[in-house]
Amino acid sequence: MKTGTRIWLVLGCLLAALVALGPIVWAFSTSLKPTNRIFQVPPELIPSVSTLEHYARLISEGVHWAFFNSGLYAVMAVAVALTLGTLAGYALARYPIPGKQLVLVLFVGAMAVPGFAVLLPTQLLFVDMGLYNTYVALPLLYAGHILPFAVWVTRSHFSTIPRELEQAAQIDGYSRLEAVWKVVLPGAKPALLAAATFGFLHSWNDYVTATTMVDTPSLRTLPVALIFFQGFHGRDWGALMAGVIIATIPPVVMFLLFRKYLIGGFADGSVKG
Amino acid sequence: MNAESRKASTAQSVRFINVGKSYGNVRAVSDVNIAIEPGQFVTLLGPSGCGKSTTLNMIAGLEMPTEGQILIGDRDVTTVKPADRDIAMVFQSYALYPHLTLYENIAFPMRARRRRTPEPEVDNKVRNAARMLGLEAMLSRFPREISGGQRQRVALGRAMVRTPTVYLLDEPLSNLDQQLRVQMRSELKDLHQRLGATMLYVTHDQSEAMTLSDLIVVMSAGRIEQVGTPRQLYDRPANLFVARFLGEPGMNILDGERAADRLVGAGFSLPLPTTIAASEKRLSVGLRPEDIEYDPSGDAPIKGTVRTVEFLGSRSLVRIDVGDALVSAFLPATVELVAGQAVGLRPADTNKTRFFDTQLGLAVEETVQ
Repeated sequence: MKTGTRIWLVLGCLLAALVALGPIVWAFSTSLKPTNRIFQVPPELIPSVSTLEHYARLISEGVHWAFFNSGLYAVMAVAVALTLGTLAGYALARYPIPGKQLVLVLFVGAMAVPGFAVLLPTQLLFVDMGLYNTYVALPLLYAGHILPFAVWVTRSHFSTIPRELEQAAQIDGYSRLEAVWKVVLPGAKPALLAAATFGFLHSWNDYVTATTMVDTPSLRTLPVALIFFQGFHGRDWGALMAGVIIATIPPVVMFLLFRKYLIGGFADGSVKG
Repeated sequence: MNAESRKASTAQSVRFINVGKSYGNVRAVSDVNIAIEPGQFVTLLGPSGCGKSTTLNMIAGLEMPTEGQILIGDRDVTTVKPADRDIAMVFQSYALYPHLTLYENIAFPMRARRRRTPEPEVDNKVRNAARMLGLEAMLSRFPREISGGQRQRVALGRAMVRTPTVYLLDEPLSNLDQQLRVQMRSELKDLHQRLGATMLYVTHDQSEAMTLSDLIVVMSAGRIEQVGTPRQLYDRPANLFVARFLGEPGMNILDGERAADRLVGAGFSLPLPTTIAASEKRLSVGLRPEDIEYDPSGDAPIKGTVRTVEFLGSRSLVRIDVGDALVSAFLPATVELVAGQAVGLRPADTNKTRFFDTQLGLAVEETVQ
């Protein structure tokens, strides 16, 4: 690569990084400033006086429970969607199911339907079923949102795993289920992690479904809880930014842990099968 | 009792009794009857799509026969699951588990719930197999980090640690380059002799079949064409398919008609053995390329025109148009021929000449008397 091209490329990357990371860095800086210094002129990126009062405020307001709820809902949704999605993905990849292509098209179609379009009917349905405003409501819905993607990704990945691996395991003394567990699933780790991360982020970041399906403060998710810091009488920017920083931690940690698999997993899911 | 004789003692016979397999209306394998003795090396040989892999998969339990019975020893395993058949299989693709090290790959069968082996014994067996196959130094590597030949050895190692009743090998050498294939072939032969195991091998490569096997089963279009030792199949093919399929090039076939005590066709006239019934009118004669001699005399029994000459060092492979047929002959390199030249030929040894019923395609007698 020529030096000129390389310089432009680096500058482009720096600009992208600034756009992506700038708000997060600023939010972190704001979360550590005392309230009376947040709007000081000139602004400080690194606060000369720092405080954890905003984080303490979040805890005193019970936001840590909302954090816990968000995590719990996301983990439950991912667990359900991945379990069902893996079974369906495997069946679609390995068994001669009649109308298999139609089933796959239906899954893709389900992904294309905007969640907002079915939000109100779903709410009415949940009220009728007694699921509205319960611990089950959000995990169930999030699992439903993630499921088509999980099926699609796992099915694509299973199709690329040679059948001989399972057959070899069966001859080596394992049942079919054991062969899938011991041989196929470890091989599908990138696809499963990709689907899990997508599902977790979707659930973790959701605001609209969470405000529609639960009402009780003890059931609220983190994005909903943080909205209450934008009160009638002005916003509590310090607490809001502290909340934003807390909210970004799990996705960032997840990405850092699994980035090796994520890139491969998404690529596999998108170009194969 | 040492380890090797213990292994040999586990070898079992395999019997196919009228086995058939259909996929809907498609008949993949029909009327397969084979009896394999304990400790034999048997090869299923045939062109692609002839049903040899399906047959192997039926012994493995990966495919269920739609008719007939399969017995391993005295046990009917026709509907038994693969895990319960006590067999080992080496796949064409090796089927090594990519997320496991070579050690874990080889140990994998011994860690299965139904045949859990104590870890010290697992370790002992893995290291013994690795030593035997020259893999000791690389047991901590992953399959992606080793060569094709080494992968093939790991697949063999995984099969060996099991001391199974039967080894199944599905074209295990086909992904290797020529040099490595020849080397692995001899290693496989050596391994069979050391283990004394019953081995069933699938290949479309006749040189592999010829060099490795005690017994070859030639298959075509889902049926067995002939079962015999490599020599029997080569010297006494039972039908035109086997005659043409075995040998490089295959047996030359010339179609003719009986005229008194001779078989006469376009470009040839050969004496017929007296043992062939007079009712056989339309016959084909089979001659191996190496059983044909150059005949410079004017009354050669086979006459043709040279099409090509391939110089091979001590001899040449000469292709000769005889009537409508193209005859291949290995002639001494000292016989200098050029394309377009008229040439006379004769059978080098009439005992090796084979005759077939042209319509049925079956051999009509053993040898010329």
